[in-house]
Parts: sequence; C-alpha cells; structure tokens
Amino acid sequence: MTELVWQRTPILTIGFFIAKEVRNLVRNITNFIPVLAAIFVSNSDWLPYAVIGGYLVFIVVSAFLNHHFFLYALADDAVHLRTGVFGKKSLTLKYERIQQAELDQSWYFRPFDLVILRVDSAGSAGKEVEIPGLPFNLAQDLRQRMLAQTASAKATTENTVADREQTEAPAETELTFSMSEIVRAGIMDNKIFVLLAVLIYPLSQTDMLEERLVPWLEANVSFLEESLWLNIGLAVAALAVLFILAVGVTLIRYYNLHFSILNERYQARSGLFTIRTVSFRYQKLQRVQLRQNFRGRLLKRFSIRVSQLQPSAHAQQQSGSASFVLPVLTQHLVTELCGWLKLPRSGDLDWQGISFIALLNPSFWIALIAPTVLLVTYANDVPLMNGFFTAALLWLAIQGYAIARWRNYGFTISNGWLAIKRGVFGRKENWYPLHKAQQIDVYQSPWLRLLGYADVFVHTAAGPEVIKYQPVSSALAMQREWASMIGSNHQRWM
Amino acid sequence: MAIAWKPVEPSYKTYLQIIVLIDMSILALIAIGIYVFVPSTELLPNPLWLGVPWAVLTLFFGLFWSSRRFQFTAYADSNEAMYLRRGALWRLTRAVPLNRIQHVEVRQGFIERMLGLAHLTLYTAGSGGADLSIPGLKLSDAEQMKASLVNTIAEEPIEDASHD
Repeated sequence: MTELVWQRTPILTIGFFIAKEVRNLVRNITNFIPVLAAIFVSNSDWLPYAVIGGYLVFIVVSAFLNHHFFLYALADDAVHLRTGVFGKKSLTLKYERIQQAELDQSWYFRPFDLVILRVDSAGSAGKEVEIPGLPFNLAQDLRQRMLAQTASAKATTENTVADREQTEAPAETELTFSMSEIVRAGIMDNKIFVLLAVLIYPLSQTDMLEERLVPWLEANVSFLEESLWLNIGLAVAALAVLFILAVGVTLIRYYNLHFSILNERYQARSGLFTIRTVSFRYQKLQRVQLRQNFRGRLLKRFSIRVSQLQPSAHAQQQSGSASFVLPVLTQHLVTELCGWLKLPRSGDLDWQGISFIALLNPSFWIALIAPTVLLVTYANDVPLMNGFFTAALLWLAIQGYAIARWRNYGFTISNGWLAIKRGVFGRKENWYPLHKAQQIDVYQSPWLRLLGYADVFVHTAAGPEVIKYQPVSSALAMQREWASMIGSNHQRWM
Repeated sequence: MAIAWKPVEPSYKTYLQIIVLIDMSILALIAIGIYVFVPSTELLPNPLWLGVPWAVLTLFFGLFWSSRRFQFTAYADSNEAMYLRRGALWRLTRAVPLNRIQHVEVRQGFIERMLGLAHLTLYTAGSGGADLSIPGLKLSDAEQMKASLVNTIAEEPIEDASHD
C-alpha cells in the first residue's frame, strides 16, 4: 500500500465550515433556551450583544480549527479522513462500500471551480461524509472511480456543457427540462405555506408589527378601512406575490434540470446557484412514488420520486432534499420513464379494491358529526332548519370524501412489483419491487378480528406500506406466499 | 401447507406476570406517594376509586392478558422465512425472509435471567428498530437458533442482478 498523502482543503472552504457551524446552531437551537431565558430575565443592555458576539467569535474560531484539522487522503481503493479538534476521528471509506457519491457545486464555490463531494456509505449509521473544496476535475475523477462499474464508464455525464465532444460514452438517455416546465413544477409543488410560516414567525416574534407597521398603516392608508373589497384585494395580491416567490424557490432548486441514464445509473442535476446532483443505481431502487396533486391534474403533469435504502430514521429525515425527484413530467414522459424503470404500469392493470367493510369504521365517526353540528347550532340559537341543513351537508361532504377515498384506493401485483394507488383530488401511486421487501406483517386489532379481516403491512427498505382490510385467510396466504418468494429470491436487493 | 407453529416456554407466562406486577406496583407506589405527601387530600378522590380499578386491572393483566398472550405467542421457521406471532388483543403475525436478515442478537434481561429465558432478535434493513423478537426461549435454544440462522445467512448465494 502506498504512503497516504494527507491533504488539507483550500482555505477558501472556510465558508463551508462556517456554514456547517451555523447549520449546527440552527439544529441545536433548543440548547440555547436557558441562555435566552437568562438574557430575558437579567434585562441587561449588553448581555444579548455579548452572547451574540461571543457566539460569532466561537463560530469563526471553531470553523478555522475544524478546517485546520480536517485532513483527507485519497488512496487507490479508499478515502481516508482525519477530523476533529479535540476528539479525533479517523475514517476509512472503501470505494466498493460507497453507496452514493454526489458532487455539489455550491454557489460560493462555483466561481473557483471547486465542488463538495458528498459520500454515503452503506453502514447502519447512515454515515455521510462531505469533502469540501475539491477541484472540479479531481472530484469528477474520484466520483467516477467510486462509482466505477465497468472499465468503459469513464464518461463524465456532468460535463455535458463543457466537453460534450470528448465524452467517450455519452449517456444513453438524456433530458433537459425547459424553463416553462420548471415553472409548472413550481406551481404544482408550491411551498407557499412554508414560505408564509417562515415569514410570519420572525414577524410575530418582534413588536415591529404592532409598534411600527400598524400605526403607519393607520396614518397613511386610512382609506383602506373604507372598503372591504380593497382589503380582500390586497390580501389576494399578497398571496399571489408569495405564490410567485414560492415558484421562484422551485426555480432556484430545479433550474436547468438535467436528467440522464448511464449504465443503469439515473442522475438528475439542477440548480440556479448551487448545482446539486442526485443519482441512484437501478439495482438499489426500493420505491417509486408517482404523484399528481390537484394542480398537477389541471396542468396534466406528474412528479416522480425514487427512494433507495434509508439506513436509519435519522437519515430518512435528512435526505428529504437529497432524494431523487423529477418534479414535472408529461404523461408521455411518465410512460417512457416507467419503461426505463421497468415498471409494468399500463392501462390494463388489475387494480384490486378493498372490501366495503373498510368504510364501516370511518363512517361511524363521520356519522357522529351531524348530531354534533346540530347540537352546536342549536345551542347558538341558529334557526333549526339552517342548522339541520348545515349538518346534513357537512356530513354528506365528508362521507362522500370517505367513499371516494375508498373507491380510489387500490393495489395490484404485477411482474413482481407491488403497487398501491390512492388519492381523491390528487393521485398517488407507490411502486415497490416486491422481492426487495424486508418484512411482511399481518395485523389484527380486536375490531378487525371481530369482522374477520386483517391489515397487511409490507415493510420495505424505503418505508412501510399497508394494504388494509384483507380477509384473514387471504392475508395470511399472501404473507406466506410473499415471504417464501422473497426468501427464495437471490437477486441483489441493495 | 400450514405453518408449524412452535410455542414458547411456559415460564414466559410467569415472566409476563412478573412484568405486570412490577408495572402495576410502580403505579401503586406513585398513587400512594401522592396520597401520603400531598398535604390536603380533600381534592383527591376516595382511595377506593383508584384502588378497585387498579386491582381489577392487575387481575385482568395478570391472569387473562398474560395467559392469552402466552397462548398466542409462537414462532415458526421455514426454509425461506422466520415467522412470529404475538399479541393478546391486538395481534400481529410477522414474516421475515431469511435473506433479508442483517444481524441476529440474543438478549437476556434481568428477570429473564432468573427464569432462564432469553429472546432472539432479528434485524432487517430500513426499519430502524428491532424487527422480529422471539421472546420466551430457553437460552440454549436461542443460542442454537442464532447459530443456525447466522450459518444460513452466511451461505446465502447472491446473484448479481445486473443482467436483470
């Protein structure tokens, strides 16, 4: 084995370490509650500034220290890392054990042609390692070496812009999404309420609103109070602005979305400022989620999300942004993608519904709504007829929704794939390769036992799925059949 | 072909009863503590209002629940999968295919050690927690099952699915 050459990341990467510290601060903000309480109680003028200043110094110093003690070495078969200021950590990642390797081109590294290499190993702790500030070409090479499947797979699909001519094996399939499609994605997957919450929270924490804004509004725009319609119009306009801003968020995330397939590796690359790459190998696919929300139905677009093995619950939470998502797909593209993913999705699938017994339990609770509403209206001196109609309409609406939900639910097993569809206004289909399932449960509550039904849970590496209300005997038969099918299937599952 | 369910050791029922007794006496101690240390007992209900339900619950769990649970708990292994059923009122039958097992563990708690029991836990990927835990096994049985499972896992052939 050759001598390891320990390297330090360029000094430019200090920004990365500072960002990491800040992220840690945000994540552990609850730890500061005692400090905040102390500030609040002491009522001193200088203490808040001292704490904030102290913390800023701490962030910068620890970022510098972390940078100084972050050493990496690239060997022929592994990456070695040595990190830690006080507690030293030494880590060796064998290339063959690496599940995932992605290049993130952060906006603060892009001008310098540096990237962050993000590596996931298969360990049960879901270890994620980030090496910041690698030169683009080196990182590119490294990633290829990590993911190398065949000798010829030296193609650099990322370099499509710069050196498309030189690539030896161009991606088998390539797709670039146009701006208008991304805008559609923004409309479909609108984070307006998240944005609203993010904006409202700091506003509600300060007295700005009451002390400055409200008097100012009262003094200068008193005409507002005169017209109800003007108020409504303003509110609608504000929401519209937020809506457009939220579309902008999607645009920043998915700008110039580029999808490619090479050697069974699916890759999506996008971003306006920070360019992120996510990819997965077909072998490791655990779930395909095909979704179409109500706006998506109006726009005739779908979105698709592919999940791989998530080693732990912790990793599941974190990887929300890192999972493989194509946010906007036409019907035609969906069909094509299903072909690439070998999903047996077609019009003539034998979707099986579940027994109408499933409606019994929800209907019972929904039936309680009408008398409750009636009682409330009666107690509030609403005319009896009005109360009666409100109650009846409400009951009808919710019961109708429950029935629609039940009718739209279905599952099917086709070519070794288990699919479940659901949704009333939107549509959602989850596809699982059944031979990769981890556990199969048959669950019976006392209520289900009374009826002679059982729920079947299929635990997959990407999360559990449930098929409700199956007759007990067929549930047990399903369990036995699937378990022995999986047990005698020796294909690689991860 | 029906599954050949194997029952667990009879002392598992004793184990469940001891657990029930411990849990219920902790509850009782808390309640007694409240009655002894709270200065004004006027606001508190008559101790009988708590004592009688407590006794009923203890009897229910100690006699009915634990024997039902013991009766229903069983495991079975086939060539392809390990099965476990457990629960008393809410019942679960779980199947774990042998080639999905990540690791195997034999554990013994304090009370289990007094009764000479152990439980065997199989872990699979993706779910985070313990996945299939067979309680109420003799320690030697558990160890032996573990050894044979580990053997099976190690001999598992894996095809490369790249042609697939």
